Amino acid sequence: MKAEQINPFLIATHDVFQQMLGWELTRGQPFLPEGFAAQYEVTGVIGLTGATTGTVALSMPRELALAVAESLLGERPSDLTPQVADAVGELTNMIAGAAKARLEALQLSLGLPTVITGQSTAIAFPSRAVPIAIPFQSPRGPLVVEVGMLPTTC
Amino acid sequence: MRVLLADDSGTMRTIIRRSLESLGVGTVVEAADGLQALELFKAGGGFDLVLTDWNMPGKTGIELIRDIRAIDQKTPIMMITTEAEKSRVIEAIQAGVTDYLVKPFTTDVLRQKLEKFAVTT
Repeated sequence: MKAEQINPFLIATHDVFQQMLGWELTRGQPFLPEGFAAQYEVTGVIGLTGATTGTVALSMPRELALAVAESLLGERPSDLTPQVADAVGELTNMIAGAAKARLEALQLSLGLPTVITGQSTAIAFPSRAVPIAIPFQSPRGPLVVEVGMLPTTC
Repeated sequence: MRVLLADDSGTMRTIIRRSLESLGVGTVVEAADGLQALELFKAGGGFDLVLTDWNMPGKTGIELIRDIRAIDQKTPIMMITTEAEKSRVIEAIQAGVTDYLVKPFTTDVLRQKLEKFAVTT
């Protein structure tokens, strides 16, 4: 995966949180995660297909997922309800979509987002993809965006 | 004013419905996919505006627009989607979309877009 393919996801994550939630994010140092386990308890996952194949994951602690849902829906869910999963899935969808628009040469299409819970749950990245994790700090807690795409000549 | 709102995300439907309600829109009928939206439209809801996502299970938003335009050329349709590429916007225009809003958006931008239809219908 080329380094310039990561920047669209950085920009997209900033834009999505700023516009949809009014939250400013601070980016940490990208790293190569060990294994495919989710970084936090709630993780939105979406597939990309086109000139390459990839997976985008947005992972956050339970408390942040509840805060995201509260901010988007106007009321705080009592627990990790389907509404919380939907909110995290929709943010994941927007991040992938906004990044996709900046990677137009790859002619990517989005799948439908899914949300998994549990920190030890594995994320299904394409085999041979080397995911890159980008940590962010939001006003309400940490989150990580992971992107794994197969190499491409585009 | 009656609005048909199609999006598979309950979160998005809530955000959009709240904006519509703040503009005084009387009725918002929600559909969780394109098939359900088409059935509701065909059932004769007398809608003044259709709002639709692009990527939905069953029937996509672009398919929904084509199906509606085959039977109705007048009702305004606005697509609200993550699909931001120029080629996608052109595809939507060719299908008969009236307006287009790319996610993410601020509530102010959403409100401005919706306000235009609330005033003209």
